[in-house]
Amino acid sequence: MIYFDNAATSGKKPQSVIDAVGFALKNLSANPGRSGHDLSVKTADEVYKVRSKISDFFGCGGAENVIFTLNCTHSINLVLKGVLKRGDHIVVSSLEHNAVMRPLKKMGISFSQANVSENTDQTVQNFKNAIKPNTRLIFTSAASNVTGQIVPIGELGKICKERGVRFGVDAAQIAGVLPIDMQKMNIDYLCIAPHKSLYAPMGIGVLICRKPLENTVIEGGTGTDSLDFIQPRILPEGFESGTINVPAVMGVGAGVDFVNKMGILNIYKHEFKLLEMLYSGLSQNSNILLYTKPPKVYETAPVLPFNFKGCESFKTAEFLNRRGIAVRAGLHCAPTAHKCINTLPDGAVRVSFGVFNQPSEVGALLRLFKDEKFVKKLQKTY
Amino acid sequence: MKRYLIQVGTVTYAIKGRDLLRRKGFKVKIERKSGEKTYGCGYAISLEGDKSEAVELLRDSGVKILDITEIN
Repeated sequence: MIYFDNAATSGKKPQSVIDAVGFALKNLSANPGRSGHDLSVKTADEVYKVRSKISDFFGCGGAENVIFTLNCTHSINLVLKGVLKRGDHIVVSSLEHNAVMRPLKKMGISFSQANVSENTDQTVQNFKNAIKPNTRLIFTSAASNVTGQIVPIGELGKICKERGVRFGVDAAQIAGVLPIDMQKMNIDYLCIAPHKSLYAPMGIGVLICRKPLENTVIEGGTGTDSLDFIQPRILPEGFESGTINVPAVMGVGAGVDFVNKMGILNIYKHEFKLLEMLYSGLSQNSNILLYTKPPKVYETAPVLPFNFKGCESFKTAEFLNRRGIAVRAGLHCAPTAHKCINTLPDGAVRVSFGVFNQPSEVGALLRLFKDEKFVKKLQKTY
Repeated sequence: MKRYLIQVGTVTYAIKGRDLLRRKGFKVKIERKSGEKTYGCGYAISLEGDKSEAVELLRDSGVKILDITEIN
């Protein structure tokens, strides 16, 4: 199979990640931070090492700021519900995932959407213009999971600092693809999906906090202050009630090591070349509709939406699947981003690359769209 | 040499504190404290050496200390 659905989760995991998960299952099956026996302390030690690695990787200034969550959506919920109160206002980008929009709707929080333009200065101005006196948080995707457009988070961090507004970033599509330094970029909350470009297992997320969270989302045992029924809010355990997924945590650690060994910019350059090759090939095919301008280095994440003219995105994906190519069709849980590229309500086919993809695989996809039999099959669905 | 149990709020801070003190040359390990005066997670940094210097280092690095007990 050719796997082009890495924005959903990385399709292939490095052997070192698989080994780390297996090692944890065999050797670290004790609850960290709960019991006092040697194996529990050893497991807690290993978990702490991974927190430290993540802290170093994202420049957050301390292992205790790294919270393990269920997934990136859980991380985002923790930020929104831990920072915003009734009467607050939030500015989000025009590219947000439903992981942001649905909690805001449920919370009844007033929000403004700042349009992410291809012009960085204009994007920054749009965010500035959207700030109100009661704006407590700016929250944005670092890159769209639909268009791949990268948001100028460094510039937005400066504005947040100037205006005294907290800054949260959904780095699901960027963490492990391009460098992020929370301190330099003035990011207060960073939400990460380590099963994507950090090549960790699914079923784990990370939230890094440089500022406090005032509320929890899940309450329960933390291994601390057990006599008190009030949920502790100490980082990180206060936000990790219940037993954490230690094998997955070890997988995250190995994933960070893998990205460091490969070199994050080497990974990005590799994936960007594939993106350029795909864009160039598809733009020369008159049956293909493209919705984005040609990718620009450091401005585009390795994601590309397109459609086969006259064919529903789901049908195209289904036919590609029959030929052994995995892509994702539809709205990608981000209707606001699809609205920006006028692909509502049917969405688009999305190709997203990972470090293990090869130019030969892109070539195979491009050839398929030139194959008369395949093209006729797609056209029959009109 | 005197030995102390420095109790902290969570296992994460216990490990952070232990690693910090170890880098500074202190003889430290993590223990779980039992008994009446157990706060937080019950994890404590067992220290042999100069308590006041260790405490200052911990506080400077943001490790909140809940209790210090001298062990005979």
